Amino acid sequence: MEFTLIKFIFIFGVLHSFIYLSFALGFSLVFGVAKIPYLSYAGLYTLSAYLMHLLLTKAGVPTIISAILSIGAVGGLSIVIGDYIVKPSMKNPLSIFISTMTVSYIVEEVFRIKMGLTPVALPALRGVITIAGVPVAQQWIAVLIIGAVSSFLVLIYLSKTATGKSIRAVAESWYESMIIGINPYKVFRVTMLIAGLLAGVASISLSPLKAVVPSMGWSPLFVSFAIVILGGMGSIKGTVVASFIYGFVEQFVTWKYGGAFASIVPLALIVLVLIFRPTGLFGEKE
Amino acid sequence: MFRQKTVADKVRENLLGIIVLLILALLPMRANDFLLDTLVRTYIFVILAVTLDFFSGTTGYLNLGHSFIFGLSAYLTGILYVYLKIPTEIAILGAGLLGTFGSLALLLPSLRVRGVYFAILSLLYPIIFIGIVTTQPFSLYLGGEGGLRIKQLFLDIARKLPPTERLAFLHNAYYYLSFILMVASFIVLYKLAYNEFGFKLRSIGQDEELSEAAGVNTTNMKIKGFLLSAVFASYAGALYAGMRPPITVDFVNTGSILLPTLTAMIVGGAGTIIGPAIAAFLLTLLYQYLWGLVGLWRTVAYMIILLAFVLIRPQGIFFDIYLRIRRLVDKVIG
Amino acid sequence: MIMLKVESVTKRFGGLVALRNVSMSVNKNEIFGIIGPNGSGKTTLFNVISGVLRPDEGKVIFEDKDITHMRPSDRVKLGIARTFQTIRVFPYMPVYWNVMVTASSVYSDSRIAKARVSWALTITGLLGEAGELAGKLTPYKLKMLEFARCLVANPKLIMLDEPFAGLSPEEIERLIGIILKLRENGLTFIIIEHKLKYLMRIADRIMALSLGEKMAEGKPDEVARHPKVIEAYIGVT
Repeated sequence: MEFTLIKFIFIFGVLHSFIYLSFALGFSLVFGVAKIPYLSYAGLYTLSAYLMHLLLTKAGVPTIISAILSIGAVGGLSIVIGDYIVKPSMKNPLSIFISTMTVSYIVEEVFRIKMGLTPVALPALRGVITIAGVPVAQQWIAVLIIGAVSSFLVLIYLSKTATGKSIRAVAESWYESMIIGINPYKVFRVTMLIAGLLAGVASISLSPLKAVVPSMGWSPLFVSFAIVILGGMGSIKGTVVASFIYGFVEQFVTWKYGGAFASIVPLALIVLVLIFRPTGLFGEKE
Repeated sequence: MFRQKTVADKVRENLLGIIVLLILALLPMRANDFLLDTLVRTYIFVILAVTLDFFSGTTGYLNLGHSFIFGLSAYLTGILYVYLKIPTEIAILGAGLLGTFGSLALLLPSLRVRGVYFAILSLLYPIIFIGIVTTQPFSLYLGGEGGLRIKQLFLDIARKLPPTERLAFLHNAYYYLSFILMVASFIVLYKLAYNEFGFKLRSIGQDEELSEAAGVNTTNMKIKGFLLSAVFASYAGALYAGMRPPITVDFVNTGSILLPTLTAMIVGGAGTIIGPAIAAFLLTLLYQYLWGLVGLWRTVAYMIILLAFVLIRPQGIFFDIYLRIRRLVDKVIG
Repeated sequence: MIMLKVESVTKRFGGLVALRNVSMSVNKNEIFGIIGPNGSGKTTLFNVISGVLRPDEGKVIFEDKDITHMRPSDRVKLGIARTFQTIRVFPYMPVYWNVMVTASSVYSDSRIAKARVSWALTITGLLGEAGELAGKLTPYKLKMLEFARCLVANPKLIMLDEPFAGLSPEEIERLIGIILKLRENGLTFIIIEHKLKYLMRIADRIMALSLGEKMAEGKPDEVARHPKVIEAYIGVT
């Protein structure tokens, strides 16, 4: 494999991995606390990108404010989804599946009707810089910084703050955390908020580089799912490691074989893990 | 208490159904092409609803990739025709079979783990399938956006008829084919669902660990149940591809195929088979009606209906309504 | 004749050792009791014998056949049946079908299956409720349903997990009567129980577990007087 190819794979691998990690962490937390795959994640991702676009173009709101508003809106919506859709049906996981998935489809359909299928563009940082001979759009540096910083913040939050630790406790066991005085419902809401914010952040930073279309949210959702399965359910360390493995594998396939094959990566990875090691790399008992 | 059932008994039991079937079977003599067309689509929808209910409504293994089964055999029909030069009629037969076994790819990876994984994994398949078909280099061979073009089913037979009769022939042929497939799938799956086979599937849905401890080989049952569901859904897909080319990614689109099917299953009553069948009919009517009401937004309205039912009345309504009507009819007939 | 042999079974859950080197054997036609405080591994042992769990070490041998890695449904077909500590039935299915699911899995001839179901429901007094949804039954009838599910497959070995829990003294006596009658007809029983008064009366031999290890085994009165057993029980309260 020629050296240039390796450089591309490595650099874009790193660039992708951090933002994937920040996104996957949100998914992983909801999975740990609510024990469900957060299928509305796709809708939240799509919504925040379109909201930003609408705020910028229709309401003339400055970029930074648009970004903050979009991310906040999606974070708030996530809490609403948690309270009104996830919590009521917690005894019936299949219901939660269908209802959270439907939310994402409603978002997709609403924007398909209102905005059409033509990709919408979000403003990106202009300019291209070169890293080790590889041209990289400046927006990617923003993505890298945002991804790394949000991941870092979340990880610190989980290990150092009281709420963060209670999130881990509730993920371990709702019952036992109640015994030691934690309110799992409050923790649940915080988790949903964090997940929503992370979805918004990832979407706003990545969307300028990829197409904003109504169906854009599914791919990040599957990527998160693949990462969480690979890393092992319930393991934050697993999510971190798996994000990088995933990022590099995906970029390897993209640069060597093309985009069509790259879209199979999440599926192939999940299937392989489920067949050979269902608990993932660092997963706990099944 | 156990005298054998006579034909008269059986007719009396199923009177309602027989009347409905007779009406539908004789419809082409009276109906216009638009109605026949709509009914063909409705019948396909019924097949999808009933097949999804048979597997997912009983075992609780939510097959969110049901449209993958439908679309896979549709594309296989196209591939057999375009690349192997097999005539459409035979291609449909072959694609239905190949698609049935191909769709096992949905189920097999999740056999060793819990049902939750199956649901998510199955969600991926249609979306990735679409991703592959619409991207180079595959899009070149699979028709990309324009779709795979094949010779429509029975077109050469139709061409032998005088020009004025051709369209009517095709409409009637398609109508009866889809009608027969629908009736066949309904009867087979209904009978199985309410017999030992079906109750074993239901036991998996209610308590899989207990089911296994009760002597049910759950892996075996899941595969068999899935294959039964897949074979009818597959043939529905292959048939629809033959009737309505070109074959595009719309055949696999979760939003347009899986969601309405899921709605029919939930609103009809999961696991009842007949509830989703009724729901498929009524929801098609509702869908047409909604166009007049909210136009393009009817797809969103549809999804809101699904959401509302899942949150408020997950056991559905149409099966309960059917039971009540049934009891009324039984009282009247005596 | 030895019906079941458990050889040096160890089972771990993460860092926890639920069963440590447990061995036991049950003779044909015996009523074998298992006692021990909560968390001593009794139900885990049942799970290993019935196939719900696989041991990390050791073997399970049934009628000279190594069934350690056999799936639970195959063990049912060999003749092993079990009940659960929390009574488990299929709540949204009629009583008839709850039992028929097992019968149709074990007997390929549907007439035999139906006959067996009728018999099982008659013995357990559930024939009248055959069409009722299982979830609506009283606790005693639920136990009878679990029992019917076990009996319909013509088992050689029945494992009961705390069968007397939640029953009135009359109901317990009735159940004991059924168990003894079935034993006379050739069945073998393994019974986990906390209500020692009743267990001691009917068991031929008893094994005591504590923290996953076997502490004592032998005739009921021997085990009852065993110092370690007394310590385990008193220590817990």
